[in-house]
Amino acid sequence: MSSMAIKGTREGITISVGKAGIDELLTDLGIELDAKAAFLRGSKVTLEASARTLQASEIERMSQVLVEHGLRLEAVVTEDEATGEAAQELGLRVAAPVAARQPSDGPNAASVAVAKAGSQRSPLEGSRGILVKHVVRSGRVVRHQGHVVVMGDVNPGGEIVAGGDIVVWGSLRGTAHAGAFGDGSAVIAALDMQPLQLRIAQMVARPDESAGASKGPEVARVVDESIVVEPWAGRS
Amino acid sequence: MATRIITITSGKGGVGKTTTTANLGVALASLGQRVVVVDTDVGLRNLDILLGLQNRIIYDVVDVIEGRCRLRQALIRDRVQPELYLLPASQTREKSAVRPADLGSVCDQLEGSADVVLLDSPAGIEHGFRTAIAPAREFVVVTTPDQPAIQDADRVLGILEESDRRCLGLVVNRVHPDLMRRQEIPSPEEIAATLSIPLLGAIPDDDQIMLANTRGEPVAHALDSGPGPLFIDVARRLLGEEIPVAPLREARPRWLQRLGLGRWS
Repeated sequence: MSSMAIKGTREGITISVGKAGIDELLTDLGIELDAKAAFLRGSKVTLEASARTLQASEIERMSQVLVEHGLRLEAVVTEDEATGEAAQELGLRVAAPVAARQPSDGPNAASVAVAKAGSQRSPLEGSRGILVKHVVRSGRVVRHQGHVVVMGDVNPGGEIVAGGDIVVWGSLRGTAHAGAFGDGSAVIAALDMQPLQLRIAQMVARPDESAGASKGPEVARVVDESIVVEPWAGRS
Repeated sequence: MATRIITITSGKGGVGKTTTTANLGVALASLGQRVVVVDTDVGLRNLDILLGLQNRIIYDVVDVIEGRCRLRQALIRDRVQPELYLLPASQTREKSAVRPADLGSVCDQLEGSADVVLLDSPAGIEHGFRTAIAPAREFVVVTTPDQPAIQDADRVLGILEESDRRCLGLVVNRVHPDLMRRQEIPSPEEIAATLSIPLLGAIPDDDQIMLANTRGEPVAHALDSGPGPLFIDVARRLLGEEIPVAPLREARPRWLQRLGLGRWS
């Protein structure tokens, strides 16, 4: 058994490390990367250290192994304050683990929520969000605790999970879950709304199969305990 | 000129990766390129049959990797195109017999002596696929016009976009012009737009292709009739020529053919 798991995500790759000692980690990292280097080369790496503590020097040594294999360490996901501070010292982005995992989580679920360590799980701040400027393809999950705006299509099998609102400037043909932490006032808007499934807070809706194809931008919101999709009429 | 290493891949099985590889190999060779087609589907080799070379195999890619022969000894020259060679997969071993780095060193040895190396990927997104993609700087995606195949192609594109490989474009196989005209299936142009990659070509679902695969005579050998010219056009586009993708014609009714109004052949 390796002391780590390497997963590909939309944003790059995520390396999750367990509780093994740093020397074992470095050895295993070397072996794993030797096997996969050609495939992973050029990727951005998120290091997922869940609850363990990593010293700045340990993070730096791992970063060095990554650089040797043509990879770049970008972010550290941690709940541990000391690890978070160490990562910040090294100029890395620090993220908190996503609080509420959805039941639909696939093995590829990325878990990069941008936030300072320690401030996660607070109520959503309205201004925070990310802009995704590419197609969200099948098997990809974009997950963010704020709002998500996609400039491009979300293809069938692709998934957006947002703590806040979701706007798709393109065709939404995959799955979108807004208000994932329970915010029933969240909305999902798309230029072309043809989703496999829409979710807002705890509610789930499938498109009405008997209805014709949608024309023009539409927005989905919760009205009286169910998800309603209406043509976009300017202000929401 | 540097050797171009191109992987043909799809995610889903049965959409025509191997057919596309064989015909593009033949087409590129007929355009004067020195081509090596490599079957990376270790354990389920097929490319040799499509090229009609199955009875000439002495060594395979695993023999090369494990040092039982030199690469030159394992390469089989095509029966028709003198500048087309096949490196067959092993039929008795498993995918684990080839590591990504192994295939990389095979491709390194071909550097300079071939213009184009086509790697025929196995289906799936696991080890075999990752091995087939490792040495390639470019790739071609093959799909059929049905939703499962399109979604799998999308998945593969998502994986490959994480690397710095260049997507050359999409080949849509087994197109039924009739279903397309009735809008029961998306057109090749629509599929390419959904996947947001360029369209390299569309190949109709044609009895000739299945017969050719059985006989071991790829349709691309026929330059002036049937689906052969479509593969030649795809090959030209791979070489950078800008040729518009012509809409596929529906098969003419039989009575027209009897009257001699069908396609010249």
